[in-house]
Amino acid sequence: MQIEYKPKRNLLETILQAEILKGLSLTLRRLFSKPITRQYPHEKPQIRLGFRGQHALVRDPETGDSKCIGCMRCAVVCPSRCIRIRPYKDKEKHGNRRLISEYKIEALRCVYCGYCEEVCPVNAIVLTEVFEYSSYDRPSLYFTKEQLLGNWDRFIAAKGIRAEDYVNPFWRPRGLPEHTLPAAKRQEVDSEWSGENQVVGRNWKKHHGAQQAG
Amino acid sequence: MNILLLLVWIIVLFCVVMLHVAYATYFERKIIGHMQVRLGPMEVGWHGLLQPIADGVKSFFKEDIIPTNADRPIFLAAPIICLVAMMSALAVLPFAPGWVLADIDIGLLFVFAMSSLASYGVVLAGWASNSKYSFLGGLRSMAQVISYEISMGLSLVGVMLMAGSLNLTKIVEAQGDSIFGMYLMPQCVGFFVFFISMLAETNRVPFDLPEAETELVSGYSTEYSGMRYAIFFMAEYIGMMVMASIGTICFLGGWNGPFSVAWFPPLWFALKIYMFMFLFIWIRATLPRYRYDQLMDLGWKLLIPLALANIVVTACFKALAG
Repeated sequence: MQIEYKPKRNLLETILQAEILKGLSLTLRRLFSKPITRQYPHEKPQIRLGFRGQHALVRDPETGDSKCIGCMRCAVVCPSRCIRIRPYKDKEKHGNRRLISEYKIEALRCVYCGYCEEVCPVNAIVLTEVFEYSSYDRPSLYFTKEQLLGNWDRFIAAKGIRAEDYVNPFWRPRGLPEHTLPAAKRQEVDSEWSGENQVVGRNWKKHHGAQQAG
Repeated sequence: MNILLLLVWIIVLFCVVMLHVAYATYFERKIIGHMQVRLGPMEVGWHGLLQPIADGVKSFFKEDIIPTNADRPIFLAAPIICLVAMMSALAVLPFAPGWVLADIDIGLLFVFAMSSLASYGVVLAGWASNSKYSFLGGLRSMAQVISYEISMGLSLVGVMLMAGSLNLTKIVEAQGDSIFGMYLMPQCVGFFVFFISMLAETNRVPFDLPEAETELVSGYSTEYSGMRYAIFFMAEYIGMMVMASIGTICFLGGWNGPFSVAWFPPLWFALKIYMFMFLFIWIRATLPRYRYDQLMDLGWKLLIPLALANIVVTACFKALAG
C-alpha cells in the first residue's frame, strides 16, 4: 500500500506555503479566544459529586468513635495495600464484637480508587472532598485513627452540614440490586450521581445530549 | 564635550534597548500563552507585568556555575562576545532622522559583520563548555550561520542596488515617505529570502537547531547558568531587534509612516519593529522545528538561488531604467 505522507499541492499553494498560512491563521484565532486556564490558588475548582480526596473515618454521632467494625474488607480490597487495621475483642464489655485499636492509612501509597468506601458495610470510611493536604514530611501523611477522625470533623465543619446528612455516592455502589446491599448502604444518593444526570465532562455531555436529541 | 554627549546617548540607548528586551520576553510569553489558550505570566504585578524584572533579579543573583573541565577563559568570554557584538550593531541603526549614534557609510555591512561575530560567541560557548550538547549546538549554529549569512547578504544586495548606498539612513531616505516607495513591493523576493534568513540568523523557531531543547537540552547554553545564561538570552533578543530593524529599514521604509509624529519621531520605527517581533513570536507559536538536512536544503537549494536571481533581475532593471 502506498502511503501518501504529503497531500498534493498545486503551484500556487506551494508558492504561498498554504499549510504554513493555515497554521498561522489557527494560532491567530486562538490568540483571541478565551484562555481556559484556572488561576488555581485564587480560583478553586468546582468539586463534583464523587470526588475522591483526603481520607477520613466517619465519627459515629452516638458513640463519638469510629463506625468501623473491623471486618477488614477495606484492607483486603485495597489494591495498593495501604490500609492497616488491628482488630481485637473485649469479651467482658462488648461480647463477641470486634473492635479496632488501630486504623492507619498510608496516604502516599493510596491510589484513590474508592474501593474501600464502596466495600465498607457500615459506611465507616470515606474519601472526602478535601484535596489540599500536602506536607513537607511523610509521617504526617501516614494517617492514624485519630487523624482520620479529625479529618472527618474538619471536613464536616468546612462543609457546613450535619454529619447525619452527608451521603457519599460511593457508599452505594452502582449497578447492584437493592437487596444485595447491606442495610447501611441502602441510601438515597444525589440524582446528579446516578443515571443520566451524572456529569462526566463536557464532551460526554455534548455527545450524549446530541444522541438523545437525535 | 562631544564625547560626553555621545556617552549619554549610548547609555540612553542601552537602557531603552534593555527595557525593550526585558519586555520582549514578557510580550513573547504572553502571546504564546494566549495562542496556546493559556494566560502566560499572571502573578508578578498586574497581569504579570513585573515578571521580566523578577526574572532579571533572579538570574542576576543566581549561582554562576562553571564546569570543572570547561575551557575557563573562553567559557567566560563567550556570552560577552555574543552580547557585545549584538549591541554594537545597534550603534548604526537610524531610529529617526538624525537619531543614530554612528552614521557610517558601511552601516549595512557593519550590521552583518556584527551579527556574524555574535555567532562566534555561540560557537565558542559550545566549544568551551566541554559538553556534547553544547558542542553539537555550537556546530549547528556555525553551519547555520554560514549558510544563511550568504542568502541574507545576497537578499539585501537588491536593496543596496536600488538605494545605491550601504548607509542605512540613505537607504531609508531613498525609499521616500510614501507607501509606494517602500522596497517591500519591488523587492518582494528579496524580502522573502531576508525574512527566512532572519529567522535562521537569530536562531528562532523554526530554525532554532542550535538550542533545540527537545534534542540538545539547551544547545550551546546548556552549561551556562545565572547571569551568563541571561546574557545569551539578551543577546538573542537584541539580535531579534537588530534584524527586525534591518528589515524595517531596508524593506518597510524605516521611520516613515502615514503621518509624521513630531513629539516622538521613532514611533513608526518602533511600531514596525514590534510588528516584526510579533511575527517572530507568531511563527514560534505555530511551526515545528526543521530537520537539520531540511534546513540546509532550504538555505542552499532555495534561498541562495532565489536571492541570486533577484540580484540579476534588479540589476537589469536598474541598468535599463537608469
